[in-house]
Amino acid sequence: MKRFVLLILPAAVPTALVLGAAVTMGVAQSMGLTPVAGGPQSSLDAYSAVASSGELAPAVVISLSIALVATAIAIAVGFTTALAMTTTRFGSKVLKGLAISTIPIPHVIGAAAIGLLLADSGWLARLFGSTAGNWPQFVAGPWWAATIIEYAWKESAFIALVVAATLSRDADELAKTAAVLGAGPAARMRYVTMPLATPALILAGTLSFVYALGSFEVPWLLGRAYPEPLPVLAYRLFTSTDLEVRPQAFAVSMVTMAIALVIGVSALRLFRRQVVTA
Amino acid sequence: MTAAVDLVNLTRTYPTASAPALKGVDLTVEPGQAVAVLGPSGSGKTTLLRLAAGLDAPDDGDIRLNGASVLHLPPQRRGIAMVSQRPLLFPHMSVLDNVAFGPRMAGAGRMQARNTATRYLELVELPGFGRRRTTELSGGQQQRIALARALAATPQVLLLDEPFSALDSELKSQMHQLLLELRAVLQPTIIMVTHDHHEAMLLADSVAIIIGGMLQQHGPAQSLFTHPQSLAVSRFLGGRNEISGEMRGRAFHCKLGVLRLADGTACAQGRAVMVIRQEAVRLVELTATDADTRGIITHAVAHGARTLVEVCAEGVPLQCEVPPGTPIHVGDHVGVALPVSQRQVLLDDPCPAPSRVGTPAVEHVH
Repeated sequence: MKRFVLLILPAAVPTALVLGAAVTMGVAQSMGLTPVAGGPQSSLDAYSAVASSGELAPAVVISLSIALVATAIAIAVGFTTALAMTTTRFGSKVLKGLAISTIPIPHVIGAAAIGLLLADSGWLARLFGSTAGNWPQFVAGPWWAATIIEYAWKESAFIALVVAATLSRDADELAKTAAVLGAGPAARMRYVTMPLATPALILAGTLSFVYALGSFEVPWLLGRAYPEPLPVLAYRLFTSTDLEVRPQAFAVSMVTMAIALVIGVSALRLFRRQVVTA
Repeated sequence: MTAAVDLVNLTRTYPTASAPALKGVDLTVEPGQAVAVLGPSGSGKTTLLRLAAGLDAPDDGDIRLNGASVLHLPPQRRGIAMVSQRPLLFPHMSVLDNVAFGPRMAGAGRMQARNTATRYLELVELPGFGRRRTTELSGGQQQRIALARALAATPQVLLLDEPFSALDSELKSQMHQLLLELRAVLQPTIIMVTHDHHEAMLLADSVAIIIGGMLQQHGPAQSLFTHPQSLAVSRFLGGRNEISGEMRGRAFHCKLGVLRLADGTACAQGRAVMVIRQEAVRLVELTATDADTRGIITHAVAHGARTLVEVCAEGVPLQCEVPPGTPIHVGDHVGVALPVSQRQVLLDDPCPAPSRVGTPAVEHVH
């Protein structure tokens, strides 16, 4: 057995066991095999029920939209920050410090902080002397602004660190090599820096997207009541006093997982095709 | 594809450094000529190339190509390509597209650039490698591709920053041969940084020695070895014999007696040091008429195929290299000839003198 396989086994085995057990339990419960409530027969009734309720499709659309916009902003900000980190002395110290200090903050704390900052009675509204009704509806508003800002802020720091780690290897030297071969700043960005950063952007962007898709606490704290994103819908169904709808909560979770898997596999295929020609 | 290069009074001090990396370096390279820049680590050799390429800006001085200053031009517009110790191939491109990069940046269409790249791949004897990924190549092949990529950009000047130092000796020899062949065909102007004296002598028309950020000497390689202009150059090039004394008129007075200098040799009067290469010193019979002094063999150690012998003459240690098979016995009395044409007298230098022949002594070397 190859050495690297042996080295990752201590981390991979417990992860696979926990994940495998959770997915198995989730699939079973989504098919009606729930403890206490329900019968011993498996069925797809929960999937049918949640699909016909009219809540699933809007939840999918709003979840994908939030994840897409937040990830796009995070990629743009993260990539720019990574470039500044690897090419400027200011960036290498200050921005790196900011990014590193952002990572350990839990999303729930981040969401609370963003709420306190952006709510119509929040810190910024007071700073600008805004009266109630004049302040844009960042929190619980129609555009999910606070939710997207929270994800974009946290994930841009993550993406910046991942991309900076990739670019710090050889990107600067390769860009200089391209320069002495006749490439101007735009050509260096197009043919050298971007292609070198793309694999890291794909991987980090995918992780951010999947996280934003499946995370519950941020839209629950900062989002509006309807339409509910997938994880909020799943949580509401799961905590319902009616135990009969609990399989529907797991059905929503399984749909979320399926979307995440499709995104992940697509990103992996894209990652493997990263060969660029000048 | 060739230009005269003038580096004029180049000076560069890095913000965090206490001493300048380069101090007033003047270097002229004629079109199509190759200059090797030799110097110890940290002497400013790579800084010199980075300034010439436009990857760094000098604090003072000028860089001229065919008489015109290029100091204000960014690297991509200078017409100067560079190959580093690491090949630095673009990992996301095929070999062909790596070599085609320069022509593409110069405005060639993709097909035209690839056709050009194919010709350069043939030139570096790697035809058929175009479709490969760079990670599929050996170190030597990668360095050939880096060379082909730099040449395909048709630079006026090619800078080589220790490009072969990471290769094993056989690959290095192959690359030397390749570079000589490419020089014959393309005749680029080359400035090459190297640590390797033999590489410099083999590949370059002239050698420039930089020590402590200052250009010490520039001239034909052989003359640097036989007639260094400072003790620092002599020591850097491995000169081992330094005889302290005093110049009076045309004669050098020292413990060995009075030593004549070759006619036409200019030197200052007063305290001085005579240097003479160990390769030039000859061991002769005690009674030989060409013996300049006599002494006793104190050490003899193998030095590659030859033997390095130290003779103590009048308290002065003299070192010489003798060919394989020469019978040497420590303790023997011998005559020592110091050829007049190889004697060079330099001003005294407070730097430490070169090391003595290593120990342990070899009693009998045949």
